[in-house]
Amino acid sequence: MSTQRITAVIGRDVPDTHSTGWLRNITTALDRIARLSAGAVLPLIILAIWYWATQKQFVKPIFLPSPLAVLTAFQRMVVSEGFLRDLLTSLSVVVRGCFWGILLGLAVGIGAGGSHWVERMINPLLNALRQVPALAWFPLIALWIGIGDLAKEVVIAKSVFFPVFLNTLQGIRNVPPQYVEMAQVFGFTRTQMLRRVVFPAAAPTILVGIRFGAGLAWAMIVAAEMLSGRSGLGFLLEQSQDMLLTDHLFVVIVTIGVVGFVVDLVLRSIEHRLFRWKEDIVRR
Amino acid sequence: MSDNSDSTLQVTHLKKTFNGRHGNIAVLEDIHLTVEQGKFVSIVGASGCGKTTLMRIIAGLDTDFEGSITLRGKLLSGPGPDRTIVFQEHRLLPWYTIGENVGFGWKPGSDAQNKDAAVRAHLELVGLSGFENAYPHQLSGGMAQRASIARALVHRPEVLLLDEPLGALDAITRMRMQRELEAIWQRENTMAILVTHDIEEAIYLSDKIFVMSARPGRIQRELSIPFPRPRDRSSYEFTRIKAEILEEIDQDTAACGSGCVAKAENAIQV
Repeated sequence: MSTQRITAVIGRDVPDTHSTGWLRNITTALDRIARLSAGAVLPLIILAIWYWATQKQFVKPIFLPSPLAVLTAFQRMVVSEGFLRDLLTSLSVVVRGCFWGILLGLAVGIGAGGSHWVERMINPLLNALRQVPALAWFPLIALWIGIGDLAKEVVIAKSVFFPVFLNTLQGIRNVPPQYVEMAQVFGFTRTQMLRRVVFPAAAPTILVGIRFGAGLAWAMIVAAEMLSGRSGLGFLLEQSQDMLLTDHLFVVIVTIGVVGFVVDLVLRSIEHRLFRWKEDIVRR
Repeated sequence: MSDNSDSTLQVTHLKKTFNGRHGNIAVLEDIHLTVEQGKFVSIVGASGCGKTTLMRIIAGLDTDFEGSITLRGKLLSGPGPDRTIVFQEHRLLPWYTIGENVGFGWKPGSDAQNKDAAVRAHLELVGLSGFENAYPHQLSGGMAQRASIARALVHRPEVLLLDEPLGALDAITRMRMQRELEAIWQRENTMAILVTHDIEEAIYLSDKIFVMSARPGRIQRELSIPFPRPRDRSSYEFTRIKAEILEEIDQDTAACGSGCVAKAENAIQV
């Protein structure tokens, strides 16, 4: 951003930086590379220590396989053991469960947010249901509809529903009344009020609820599959443990972590893109 | 819209009671005031005297009152396109650009200009040309307040209400904004009602000043300010009127004691 434009936007003078032109471009680029790679420092250190520890054979390979062994196992799992299929299974169950959980959470949240009476009526029941962890429902649900993908989807939907519902309700309730008043004076219709004031004001909170729910869902699927799966990542964990294939274990664990991380990253960048109008917090 | 033949705002026997936990409190009692078309008036008074309450009733944000308010002889109730308000906070929606925010004040059919032209014209009027695509968080306090003034004026209302619009600004920006406000008002020729703590601001800008007393809120005194514009803050007349008004307010505060103001503030919770 040129100094002129900065001055124009914020209406006051900004001191010029010392370097100009090509030198500044290089330092800015280096700075950006440095910031992005700062996060990789610790993982690389851990990886180095891990490699060194296995080389020195401090621990038996059955407890801590070497990084190379894990890599080999990963290759083998993908090529000849259908790893990707298990990954896809877990992912599709999560996505379906999330979809329903988010949809219901939004619907009920909007209903309760729009009407104090609705909120009063459903809150006690929902609060009670919320206390029981989703996994505790699993045996009952499996009994009713059988052990299969549907049961897992229901359990995931349940665990996603609550953060989304609560955050939607909160988001709507926390719309600053000053904006509502302003909209009243300027003659907003009810539809305009919802579309231009309520929804954008509540959106950040709602999205946080969705992001949180998505994280819960991903954790939930692994647990559900461990309990009673015949496919999927959780099932693979159980199986690897049974057969003492520690390298397989590592592969699955890393995959779970990476997928969860990527999904969260995607959601966070959506959030960042949608909410550029928010006040700039002090940068990094 | 603002070149109607007789755009007079008339408040008659306005009374507002607040039914609180500790009984009924008369917030406003027998308010009676008249504002002629195109005039700039101010309402001043100690904190808690009800001036913001009165303002909100005129704006239509509060319809629970007795008595009547008429504009051009027509009874007012609830918000309407003929009155807009500039609050102390700019209240621009942060997720819309300045241009879009100002556009919210526009009403179809106002002044035959299309919306974009009207928005651009009013942004220029308040000195914010070129900021259509900026977001509120990128603007300073004074600029954001100017945008909210543009929003209030973009469909040329008959009555412009200003509820301590410069209260959140620093002293230097405030003085500059007072001059700009005067210039904008003169160009738009709309009726303006200003509520303020700042007596100097009131004298600088107004044709008439209403001094309100607290608990219950009523119009204690009405003063005409016939000085030519722009006004000199250091002139003898200016200083004399200022002293007079300050004395009025002091008297009122002394009469009911300092506990008055605090009690009134607690009761109104505005």
